[in-house]
Amino acid sequence: MRSLVVVAALLLYVGSVAAGPVNEARAHSNYQLYCQGCHTPDGTGYKSVPRLKGRVGNYLRIPAGRAYLARVPGAATSILSNKDLAEVLNWIILTFGGDSTPRHFKHYTAQEVGKLRARPLVRVREIREQLHRELGYGEK
Amino acid sequence: MNFLDRFFEKSARNLARSTSRRSLLRGLGGMLVGSAATFPLLPVARAADNGKIKPPQEKGDPTACDYWRYCAIDGYLCSCCGGSYDACPPGAEMSSVTWIGTCRNPVDGRNYVISYNDCCGKSSCGACLCNNDNGDRPLYRSDKANDLNWCLGTNSLVYHCSTAVLIGVAFDQGK
Repeated sequence: MRSLVVVAALLLYVGSVAAGPVNEARAHSNYQLYCQGCHTPDGTGYKSVPRLKGRVGNYLRIPAGRAYLARVPGAATSILSNKDLAEVLNWIILTFGGDSTPRHFKHYTAQEVGKLRARPLVRVREIREQLHRELGYGEK
Repeated sequence: MNFLDRFFEKSARNLARSTSRRSLLRGLGGMLVGSAATFPLLPVARAADNGKIKPPQEKGDPTACDYWRYCAIDGYLCSCCGGSYDACPPGAEMSSVTWIGTCRNPVDGRNYVISYNDCCGKSSCGACLCNNDNGDRPLYRSDKANDLNWCLGTNSLVYHCSTAVLIGVAFDQGK
């Protein structure tokens, strides 16, 4: 029984390392330097800058939405490494997602982000509107 | 009746003795000024979430281009235009959309995250034009370019001057 607990704990630990734990200070600093200028300090956004607060987690409900978050130009073409981009994405979702974030949110990994950002989005608005239709948002 | 007369006369005389006619003005003035201090009456734009960090010690002249916070500023200093490095001059609106970089504070040797919020809605201030390009990138890296008019988050696109708001301590990658 005890060994089972140890194995379970080990598995959990390995899982969290593979997904990359979020370093709060580093992630917040990267958010400030590479995202906040447009998305504003609390993720509210402004005019044409999409709102993250209370919304960003909705995209995780469909695979195309999950891919979208790593493929938008601001994310995909940023100078952040795959590891740091995955971390800041996870941080944004955990910090601003609120109720929109699914309960069993699977963290982005550096590998996943690396694959997704290799194909940055070009017609972002069209794709966003398409996603919103799929998510049942209407046009907004 | 006599009693009431005496009572009111006495309290009126007491009031007149213990207060002056100007004390009403003083009280009223105090109320107005006091309430202005508690509830700001003038719409002064201040950058959000400033205040979470303990302000560091700083030295130098905030109206000079070589002041440490301005290591990547491109524009007129709000400090020379009736505002300060973290507040817009009266009548100008601070853009919530901004460009952000880091500058090293020579006093404590640490790198701080600086938000260069533009103040907008009034014609160009014209005083203290600075162009420091620490970390500035070409326009195709628009999030790190200071040659842009960042009056994107305001009602008016007219640029007036730039602030340098301290919003955090930069993460030390060596940690």
